[in-house]
Amino acid sequence: MEYVSPEGLRLDGRRPMEMRQLRAQIGAVAKADGSAVFEMGNTKVIAAVYGPREVQNRSQQIGDQALVRCEYSMANFSTGDRKRKPKGDRRSTEISLVIRQTMEACILTHLMPRSQIDIYVQVLQADGGTRSACINAATLALADAGIPMHDLVTSCSAGYLNSTPLLDLNYVEDSAGGPDITVGILPKLDKVTLLQMDAKLPVDIFENVMQLAIEGCKAIATYIGEVLLENTKQLEYRKGL
Amino acid sequence: MVGLSVGEKYFIQGGINQNLRSDGRKRDTYRPIFVETGVIPQANGSARVRIGTTEVIASVKAELGRPSALHPDKGKVAIFVDCSPVAEPTFEGRGGEDLSTELSVALQHCLLGGKSGAGAGIDPSSLVVAEGKVCWDLYIDGLIVSSDGNLLDALGAAIKAALSNTGIPRVHVTAAASGDEQPEVDISDEEFLQFDTSEVPVIVTLTKVGRHYIVDATSEEESQMSSAISFSINRKGHICGLTKRGGSGIDPSVISDMISVAQHISEQLITKLESEISAAEAGEDEL
Repeated sequence: MEYVSPEGLRLDGRRPMEMRQLRAQIGAVAKADGSAVFEMGNTKVIAAVYGPREVQNRSQQIGDQALVRCEYSMANFSTGDRKRKPKGDRRSTEISLVIRQTMEACILTHLMPRSQIDIYVQVLQADGGTRSACINAATLALADAGIPMHDLVTSCSAGYLNSTPLLDLNYVEDSAGGPDITVGILPKLDKVTLLQMDAKLPVDIFENVMQLAIEGCKAIATYIGEVLLENTKQLEYRKGL
Repeated sequence: MVGLSVGEKYFIQGGINQNLRSDGRKRDTYRPIFVETGVIPQANGSARVRIGTTEVIASVKAELGRPSALHPDKGKVAIFVDCSPVAEPTFEGRGGEDLSTELSVALQHCLLGGKSGAGAGIDPSSLVVAEGKVCWDLYIDGLIVSSDGNLLDALGAAIKAALSNTGIPRVHVTAAASGDEQPEVDISDEEFLQFDTSEVPVIVTLTKVGRHYIVDATSEEESQMSSAISFSINRKGHICGLTKRGGSGIDPSVISDMISVAQHISEQLITKLESEISAAEAGEDEL
């Protein structure tokens, strides 16, 4: 199948290095300490953060740092074919773990000993790149909850199809079977905190594709920065400052 | 769960006794309702409903299936509700399953009628394509995104809105098969059938706190309830289903009193909801 047309356009009309439209909204769940909706094209996820609060299960309490927990769940209607999946299947457990590790790396956990931070992500629509969208939503929700962090982690995926590096794969491109790299970075510190790839790729091409994904992450970081700034301005305005 | 001090409990109960609740509402006033349709493009129909800070999403998906042997002339409708941990940390893991089941069953009672499908808001015989062979199976999924009480009313409203947003492709049976063979069908990409949702009931929950009952209770008020009854009432004022929750008993005379109150409130709710739904549909067409 042809994923990039001779004119250099992808199936959904994007250029190879073009990202899908981003949309973010802060404060979607009123009762959570922090929450956000993040959309990348048709992929839409909602993230809520509860905490820092008292540890619910005493045996999990850590004396010198905060306990970070994460649960990833998909709505029944999120995929094209309706499936009723049991909670806690292997895929969602793995993604929960990936998100938890990525977020834990940027939260200043030593400032909140003996407490717990819960991150819940819910996929409303899945169209490729749910992992990245979840991380971006979780970052926004953590920032909304006012949890101290080193930096705002952002994530983006990239792939390689028809000898072309492609940024931000959608579902059709993702299921094409080509290599798919998901990168998470700390943009200000310029460090990679998450790197996953499936299928094989020559080293020199890998470097190109990873560089493309990192550029994508940086673009998302700029967008997230703008959203947070706008949100803070709104808060300031409402406070009458 | 809601943790309330003794003072807060008195405040809530006292407010209800004086017909002035903590958020300034009267006993029989709903919080503002917002409806948005077509929120899930992958589904046949979908809607998001916000009542105050309670927020739910409902989606309708239609799949071709086989009618059951008992009712060859009827399609199937199933309702499932999922409680997302985003709404409440206690829904984590399997924590939300009890509530999910309770809500799904209550919605089935309220909206789908009896086992034969009689009295249902959605006419199951309209879902049949070829009698005994092909029918539409409707899967209605609810998702709780933000929970602040009165989930059942919100879900009922969301399902009504999602159904009025639903378009089911027209199906042509191309080759009539004989005997047990499945006929070949041709699903149209352009022609869609719409549901008549004016018969779909709305759900009104009356929550009894102390000696009085209130509509649209928040989760703080629900924590003080002794019992609650959910009435599902259609446009004609007929009761289509009824569910009681909560432990304590209610005097039968109070129940009939509650029914007449619920009927009165449902009229206002249906009018409000239908104007919101048509506004949402109009807004969607413009985009």
